Amino acid sequence: MEVFLPIAQVFVNPIEILLLSAIVGVLSGLFGVGGGFLMTPFLIFLGIPPAYAVANEANNILATSVSGSTTYYLKNILDYKMGFMIVIGGVIGTTLGIYTFTYFKGIGKIDTVISLAYMYILAIIGTLMLVESLREIDQVKRNVLAKKKAHVHYWIHGLPLRMRFPKSKLYESIFTPIIIGLIVGFIAAIMGIGGAFILVPAMIYIIKMPTKLVPGTSLFVTIFVSVIVTFLHSFNYGSIDLLLVLMLVIGSIVGVQLGQKLGERIDSSGLRALLAVLLLIVGIAIAYDTFFADEIIKETSKSVKSDLNFFSRFIIDFSKEMPFFYGLFSIMFAIILGVGAAFLRRFISNLKGKIFIKS
Amino acid sequence: MHISEIKIFNKLPRLKTSYVKVGILMSLLAYWGVILVGTFVTFN
Repeated sequence: MEVFLPIAQVFVNPIEILLLSAIVGVLSGLFGVGGGFLMTPFLIFLGIPPAYAVANEANNILATSVSGSTTYYLKNILDYKMGFMIVIGGVIGTTLGIYTFTYFKGIGKIDTVISLAYMYILAIIGTLMLVESLREIDQVKRNVLAKKKAHVHYWIHGLPLRMRFPKSKLYESIFTPIIIGLIVGFIAAIMGIGGAFILVPAMIYIIKMPTKLVPGTSLFVTIFVSVIVTFLHSFNYGSIDLLLVLMLVIGSIVGVQLGQKLGERIDSSGLRALLAVLLLIVGIAIAYDTFFADEIIKETSKSVKSDLNFFSRFIIDFSKEMPFFYGLFSIMFAIILGVGAAFLRRFISNLKGKIFIKS
Repeated sequence: MHISEIKIFNKLPRLKTSYVKVGILMSLLAYWGVILVGTFVTFN
């Protein structure tokens, strides 16, 4: 069974997309990492052009981060002031990223740039993760406790214009979160990822925020960054495919829930090395695809507009005739799906509680 | 003489760990070699 994606102009198997996004969602929930840097390469392997994979994954990340941050919002464990500072940097970084994207698209090299960026990011994260987890396993075997430095000062802590952040109990230069936001925004615009794998360590080790405020603030920033990335991609290139986004969102939201439940029952620290190996394998697969398989022409069967059904024709016309409103609609679509998923989760959790009390 | 007293048997697990570590290091080096050479060849 295959479905035609009207915007990306390719045929895909919806079961494959749903299964893959669910598997990536499980990994995200289990290891607490964003799934963007795994899902976008998988979409590329399924034959979706990289420029479309990036834009649609950004829209999917918007839905999942809205769903996740609703919980933190209700518990009031996020630092809005710090979040807004990072968002300021994120807006600048995203705009720069979109300009870079436009430049490489103009010279016809965008697909190679995206593939190379993914290959290097996966190789760096995979190598660091593998080395770190092997060191941990080694230390556990030898019963050695790792010595950590109490406080490390980097050049970034000496920047001017300091401000108080009461919620995090910090007195920090406003440039620190802005620079971090700028880097995250730039990477998010080019690669279609949330950037949590940079944001979370940076918040803990560079900004030195309390750990309990980190996940909520990170998701809060991701919402803004992915809104801008989704809108700019949709408005500039019309590359958001609502049908693909719907499949991605359903798969990943279900997967994240399963992953979180699984994480409560099993110890995932030993599995971290396996995730690192998986990242390295995906990285080398992209390398093969980029370096050696350029000649393989991917089947991007162009369909005649008259062959399409009403829904597909509506999406194409809407994106071409009203790109501004189509961008807004994509954002609202993701937010509604995300909030809906959060309420559904709460409803199921309450229902389970009632059944448990009765029995 | 007990088997546990023979030094070579005590050294075996440590030797195995070292081989595994060297193997992982060599694989990572080969991995990065492929990526860097590939990038260099693609852009030339």
